[in-house]
Amino acid sequence: MTIEKISQDLFQWLHDAGADGDLVVSDVRSLSLKALDGALDEHSVNSGRTLGLRVVKDNQVGTAYSEATDEDSLRFMLDQALTNARFSEPHPEEQIRSVAQTFSDDGARINPQDDTPIEARIDFLIELEAKLLSYDNIRNVPYNGLSDAIRQQSVFSSKGCSASMTTRQQIAYAMPLAAEGENTAMNFALQAGRHFNDLDLQSLIQNAYRNSTSLLDGKPIPTGHYDVVFDHNVQAQLLSAFSSMWSGKWAQDGINPYRDKIGERVFDKRLSFVDRPLNVEGLGYQVFDDEGMATVDTTLVTEGELKTLAHNTATAHHFGVETTGHASRGAKSALNVGLHQLHLLAGPDGADTMTQGSWLKVTKLDGLHSGTNPISGEFSCGASGFLYRDGECVQTVRGVTVAGNLYRMLDNIAGVSDKMLWNDYKSSCMASIRFADLAVSG
Amino acid sequence: MLTSDTARSVIDHAVALGADFAELFVERQLRTNISTLTKTVESVQSGIEFGIGLRLVFGTKVLYGYTNKPQADELKRIASELAAKDRRDPRVTATAFDFRKLISKHSHRKVLSVDPQIDDKVSFLLAASDAAMSSGEAIHQTRGTSLQREQQVTIYNSEGLHTEDTRHYVRTVMAAIAQDGSEQASGSKDMGGLAGWELADQVDAKELGLEAGRQALVNLSAKPCPSGEMPVVMGNGFGGVIFHEACGHLLETTAVAKKASVFHDQMGEMIANEKVSAVDDGTLVDAWGSINIDDEGMATQKTQLIKDGRLTSFLVDRLGSEKTGFDRTGSGRRESYRFAPASRMRNTFIEAGSDSFDDMIASIDRGIYASHMGGGSVTPGTGEFNFAVREGYYVENGKVQYPVKGATLISTGPKVLREISMVSDNLSLACGMCGSVSGAIPTTVGQPALKVDNILVGGNA
Repeated sequence: MTIEKISQDLFQWLHDAGADGDLVVSDVRSLSLKALDGALDEHSVNSGRTLGLRVVKDNQVGTAYSEATDEDSLRFMLDQALTNARFSEPHPEEQIRSVAQTFSDDGARINPQDDTPIEARIDFLIELEAKLLSYDNIRNVPYNGLSDAIRQQSVFSSKGCSASMTTRQQIAYAMPLAAEGENTAMNFALQAGRHFNDLDLQSLIQNAYRNSTSLLDGKPIPTGHYDVVFDHNVQAQLLSAFSSMWSGKWAQDGINPYRDKIGERVFDKRLSFVDRPLNVEGLGYQVFDDEGMATVDTTLVTEGELKTLAHNTATAHHFGVETTGHASRGAKSALNVGLHQLHLLAGPDGADTMTQGSWLKVTKLDGLHSGTNPISGEFSCGASGFLYRDGECVQTVRGVTVAGNLYRMLDNIAGVSDKMLWNDYKSSCMASIRFADLAVSG
Repeated sequence: MLTSDTARSVIDHAVALGADFAELFVERQLRTNISTLTKTVESVQSGIEFGIGLRLVFGTKVLYGYTNKPQADELKRIASELAAKDRRDPRVTATAFDFRKLISKHSHRKVLSVDPQIDDKVSFLLAASDAAMSSGEAIHQTRGTSLQREQQVTIYNSEGLHTEDTRHYVRTVMAAIAQDGSEQASGSKDMGGLAGWELADQVDAKELGLEAGRQALVNLSAKPCPSGEMPVVMGNGFGGVIFHEACGHLLETTAVAKKASVFHDQMGEMIANEKVSAVDDGTLVDAWGSINIDDEGMATQKTQLIKDGRLTSFLVDRLGSEKTGFDRTGSGRRESYRFAPASRMRNTFIEAGSDSFDDMIASIDRGIYASHMGGGSVTPGTGEFNFAVREGYYVENGKVQYPVKGATLISTGPKVLREISMVSDNLSLACGMCGSVSGAIPTTVGQPALKVDNILVGGNA
């Protein structure tokens, strides 16, 4: 049964039950490979489909999902969603909105044809491991992999929405264990693209080797306050851990510290944030959100002033504004809000300002999933990197922690670089921030 | 689900392709998740998951695929595609299935497939919320969740295994958020187990809420944490996450077989202070990390990992056993049919000692009492770990002084195991979710309170 037929049947049954609804469909086909000791160690080929139904009846909302698509399972999912709705508090703001547009973007830009034979992919991975092992100070490469995933995301609704988009993402990574004497170090390198040819084996080998071996002679620095620059990947991870600061849902729930700050200067004037879902260079490219609403560039902060939060139609209605196209709902989750591709625009500061005096460059931050508190803004994580003084690297740093309150840190910075860089996952593109006076414990 | 005849034909097909071992993992899972926001029901969600994971082993190479379609043709197609590069004359003969099923000793009276108990769960969450809100004027919001799932698994393999199990899980969490001007802080308390919703009969919703509120208020009043190397007393219960991260992951053959663990060549050696004994016990009744059988069909067991400081066992799954030569410990686990199994922890904890908690605090001139821990992570190859302190106190001159916030602890597994100098007698366990190569699985962490003589505390003071 086609997904269009499934949605037609579901919406007819919903209509008969006096309800509206929308359906999120997630289809994934993927291949993943791992190598060990010069041979293929794991080879996985997968495909799966999940349907997520949201129903609205008498202002009550219920959701249910199914991984089976036979009629009995579809009817069971619908009955469950209607039952669940009866228990929820009325949410008059959360409705199924009419959508005039129909999206169907499965173009070659974001889902390129790629007939690279499996043998070439296996050779890539085995060479990745072999080249790294050829270095004297690489003991083994226990974690490595190559994956190719094609995801089709579709949204249909009883109010006319029909949106579908297919994207492709290929990732290669390696995490070698470097050893010299009694010192050991592990760090990660990754490349992401849409086509196998986007993956540069030699560059990946060099990055994986450098990222691990460069930390071998690391040691703590004295406890104190330092200016800190997180490298482009780490800065993206840190800001992502606090992404709820942009959420209209968190504002509606009363726990976003910026909920009453629209129009106010909240950050340093050198900071301007824009969410750009339509920047096709990024792998977070998205033409519609999970309510089927068109996405557009959204200016969140200009020169330190908060312009808007990110909204879906329900949070937008709550605050009396228009949706910003940031509805986020997986097949197995309720309606929420999420950014697509956060951009931090280039600032005024060149290399002279960014690298003057003494500062710590953090290239690895451990424990972000547990050491951050988006409610309070506090974070404290293990860190590795390099201590610079007047442009010279004077020490490799390991075994330290970096701590601060991100919400206050964004108003206490020493510089914003004049260059923007994509992170390796190509999910965000940012200028570097030089944070002033962070607590470093060694 | 999948009939035995279909499983038979797929296994036969895989063996005919030359696989040394073939396995089918059939899973059907029901879930219900209720969320509350202070006094209101935020959402009620439910769903059915169904799929089949097919694992073929050629030598030590693992080929894995999954599908939502239970037809023999689809499964054989996946097997043929996976084995396309490895196809060879058959090396083994598939054995006839011998159905065996263990009787579950875990309670399962109020199960999801009979009644999702939504009214009861909502009442429980709202009672906990009311209690949390009553714990102080600064509490301005609560968030509650109640998750129940029922996972039916059937496992077939080419060695004749045919077994099945049904696992009932419940977990309920109440979080409170306190506010003072622009300052916000949070606290939480949970309960959970391998049991039906009747587990809630053993838990006082009011106490759950009061504890969440108390922690949020403590954290709201907390001062920035001092930093540097110092002694730390880690509270019992979820404090056991230190052992989970610092040692447990490094004892999984998933890391050991690749020599990606600092302990891979230290079996039988002293790796911890002699006061430390630790187990991974999958047999505890109704415990969150317990299982009847692992996801390779082997009966679970209690595994002594460390005895009096000496390494006595790894956590061994089927492939880990083949690669390392150690006996299987019933530790092959996976999140769902979407993952190949790997060696993983169950209920992992440091056993009770004989030191008193008061003596631990009294022995500290300047340090931290980390009464409640958050999560953490580890780099297996180097043993470097970190974890967050969810509720902590500054200790000076043998006395607890004031609450601190924003603290994290970092060290390496081998170092911290040797720095444990005191182990108390107040063992308790706590629920957690552990993420690793085979997905996110329920695991219990635990310990009695213990003292680490020297560890780096990262703070913001």
